[in-house]
Amino acid sequence: MPLTLLKSDKAIPEREKHTYIKAASENILPLSNVQTTPGDFTERGCTYAGCLGVVCGPIKDVIHLVHGPIGCAYWTWGGGTRQNLSDNPGFHRKYCFSTDMQEDNIIFGGEDKLYESILEAHKEFPEAKGVFVYATCAIGLIGDDLKGVCKRAEEEIGIRVVSFNCEGFRGCSQSLGHHIANDTLFEKVVGTKEPEYLTDYDMNIIGDYNIQGDLWEIMPLFERMGIRILSTFTGNASVDDIAQAHRAKLNLMHCQRSTPYICKRMEEKYGIPVLKASLFGVEQTSKALRDVAAFFGLEDKAEEIIEEEVSKVAPKIEEYKTKFEGKRVFIYQGAPRAWHWVNMFRELGVETIAAATTFGHEDDYVKICERVNEGVLVLDNPNSLELEEILTDWKPDLFISGLKEKYLSYKLGVPFINGHSYEKGPYAVYSGFLNFARDVEKTLFAPVWGLIRRRKNAQRND
Amino acid sequence: MRSVTINPAKMCQPIGAMYALFGVHAAVPLVHGSQGCTAYPMRMFNRHFGELVQVAVSSLGEDASVFGGKKNLMASIENIIARRHPELIGVITTCLSETIGDDIDGIIREGNFEDSKVVPIHTPSYVGSHVTGYDNALKALVTSLSVEPDSDNAKLNILPGMVNPGDVLEIKQMLDSMDVSHTILSDISETLNAPLMLPKPPFPSGGTSVDEIEDCAKAQGVIALCEHAGGSAATFLKGKYGMAADTICPIGVANTDRFLDAVGDMTGVEIPYSLEQGRGRLIDAMVDVHMKTCGKRAAIFADPDVALALAEFVTELGMEPVIISSSTASRKFLQKAKSVTDGGEILNGRDLYELQRAVKDNEVDILFGNTKCAPIAKDEDVAFVRCGFPVYDRVGYHRYGIMGYHGGIYLTDRITNAILEWGER
Repeated sequence: MPLTLLKSDKAIPEREKHTYIKAASENILPLSNVQTTPGDFTERGCTYAGCLGVVCGPIKDVIHLVHGPIGCAYWTWGGGTRQNLSDNPGFHRKYCFSTDMQEDNIIFGGEDKLYESILEAHKEFPEAKGVFVYATCAIGLIGDDLKGVCKRAEEEIGIRVVSFNCEGFRGCSQSLGHHIANDTLFEKVVGTKEPEYLTDYDMNIIGDYNIQGDLWEIMPLFERMGIRILSTFTGNASVDDIAQAHRAKLNLMHCQRSTPYICKRMEEKYGIPVLKASLFGVEQTSKALRDVAAFFGLEDKAEEIIEEEVSKVAPKIEEYKTKFEGKRVFIYQGAPRAWHWVNMFRELGVETIAAATTFGHEDDYVKICERVNEGVLVLDNPNSLELEEILTDWKPDLFISGLKEKYLSYKLGVPFINGHSYEKGPYAVYSGFLNFARDVEKTLFAPVWGLIRRRKNAQRND
Repeated sequence: MRSVTINPAKMCQPIGAMYALFGVHAAVPLVHGSQGCTAYPMRMFNRHFGELVQVAVSSLGEDASVFGGKKNLMASIENIIARRHPELIGVITTCLSETIGDDIDGIIREGNFEDSKVVPIHTPSYVGSHVTGYDNALKALVTSLSVEPDSDNAKLNILPGMVNPGDVLEIKQMLDSMDVSHTILSDISETLNAPLMLPKPPFPSGGTSVDEIEDCAKAQGVIALCEHAGGSAATFLKGKYGMAADTICPIGVANTDRFLDAVGDMTGVEIPYSLEQGRGRLIDAMVDVHMKTCGKRAAIFADPDVALALAEFVTELGMEPVIISSSTASRKFLQKAKSVTDGGEILNGRDLYELQRAVKDNEVDILFGNTKCAPIAKDEDVAFVRCGFPVYDRVGYHRYGIMGYHGGIYLTDRITNAILEWGER
């Protein structure tokens, strides 16, 4: 019975379709990318979160203006809990802009307030290279003409003003927000600026958000090979970088859930081929370097770099592997990291016993199922009670997830790593892999876990 | 005044309602809105308290936004009851469900749920702030659940507002030392500072029980510690059941004196010697550091009642509150702020960008505020005392109270240490 109903789901049997225990004999995937069961304690966020929170927020030199009541802006201030670093910290992640819609704005419309807000924000921060305006739930309902207001404001202030129709109620998760951000940035930004010069080795890195500086570890590897990173989408990106992204020779796609849309459109319109990569762990990183090198004809240089980097980390990884051998992990991530990290953990001697995603699509589950062993639980859009059941009954030695799930794990006495914003990253490529392994060691072997008392015959809530 | 808000001072109403519900034992907050309305606030609680919080959402999508959210709301309540058997579900509205116009009171009535109490709480995000959201939630709990008393009890109702578990503990300890029995509405002191013991209970222990809320009409009196976050419930209890009511935020010497006097007046209990000693220890701590605190120019940002009380306390420390800034605009705050600052600048619900401008203009020495104020302290090079919600750039702030005499000592020490560290920078 590959599709399974967890005990905590007895009252919501529709969850069975999302809960798959891998069996090679049957070719099944868990149901994904559909509406959440109402009231099931989902961990999912909204379309606005996918658009501003994930994809657009890392852009470091535009005013991100949230059109709506105040809460939505407050939550994404400074990236929220996300650690998408940039080299413009005096502006980026420091300021939060909102129209703070009040009841009378909801009744009579918020277009005037939005227009004024764009002008005022620009006046306070004239160095910003654009204003991005995000629609929240209430705005979609009252029907403010965002496009019209942004066009008028753009004519007035002379810098780009772009609107994103990313109301939270659209779609079933953050995922649609990624798509909306991709499409809007493609249509309004990409192709609006020409690079100062071109080389035969211009590449974009698409779908890396520079979490705790990942990109600053990733980029030098390619640059040493002789490649120029023309644009990053969107970690540490200037809006101007994205504007000139259409002239790259290759798109290297890292997050394959939040950015396949823009890669596809750039391929269609500008003929830029796409190369998919996992930049976590030794094997995957080396493969990505080799794939890119093969594209540009830089194989010899790549092998040199790989040899040098691997020799630096391999002995330490072997040590960690000995320490971690036999440990079992439950991976729950947004989507692609759930499968990026199955292989990375395997290199550390840690086997995945359960893998789940918040907003994965079918292709994410194909990749998870390719990578995990028989009998592994593959779960779509898990809710808090399911997570508790898995952490309790499946007894992983380690849980890797996000902040909301962190304290559930702690309260159940299960060692935990924050895979969304990291503990002390960066975690990408060779150097980051050592950080990752060090953090896994810290949490697995922290003495405090041994001090927890388990009370016998404990009753509910006593 | 600007149309654009830059670095907001407030959050929206639903998060305040969640805060109130976390203090009710075995209660589930159910947000009637889109999924971001839970995913984001939950992280704010995680960061401030370092605790697990579980909030349900009705996951309104495009269909529900067009055809109404009744189906989602009914299914949500049924699913929550079936899977978690809570004592209470608080249905918290959002800008989305309020703009759609869902009649949640009607839907809940029609649902006739028997296994759990279900309370509608109206918190449209385009009105008020997190503070008014807390106030609305507490009023909804009391109006929906309190029952006409058939007898009296000797209890006192204390409505703490959006304060920390440590504050609630300080208040409880003072009342316990007076032998005054009490109902804290709502009590986050254990639920948001929960022990790690296995097996983990389905709901954290502690919190106000639904029975206690039902019985709150029997009490002798009610004291709201934060008028803006709990005052409406106190007014309701006074109006409907005729109980004595007062509003005092017991931060600092005089405010704590007043609080204990009010407790004494309502219950007829004398203030015990142990509390006199506690007061003496606070005074001792203040004397010890007065050469460091006197004359310092303070900027205070907090929720309205805490901001006012802090301004009074720093005045007792010989400081001058040159800026008093409230997260939430209110006429009452404005009136009171005028009386506690002697010509200082008052920011009534203005954003933190404006606060920074004011700090720049007023030659401030020390700033009080939450984590969002930390960059202001850094930019303007002033001493910084973390307080309020959220504080997440340092750990443990939720555990220790700043209320009462004992909390006053802790705050006095923190203020002085902030000044010392600033001097050594």
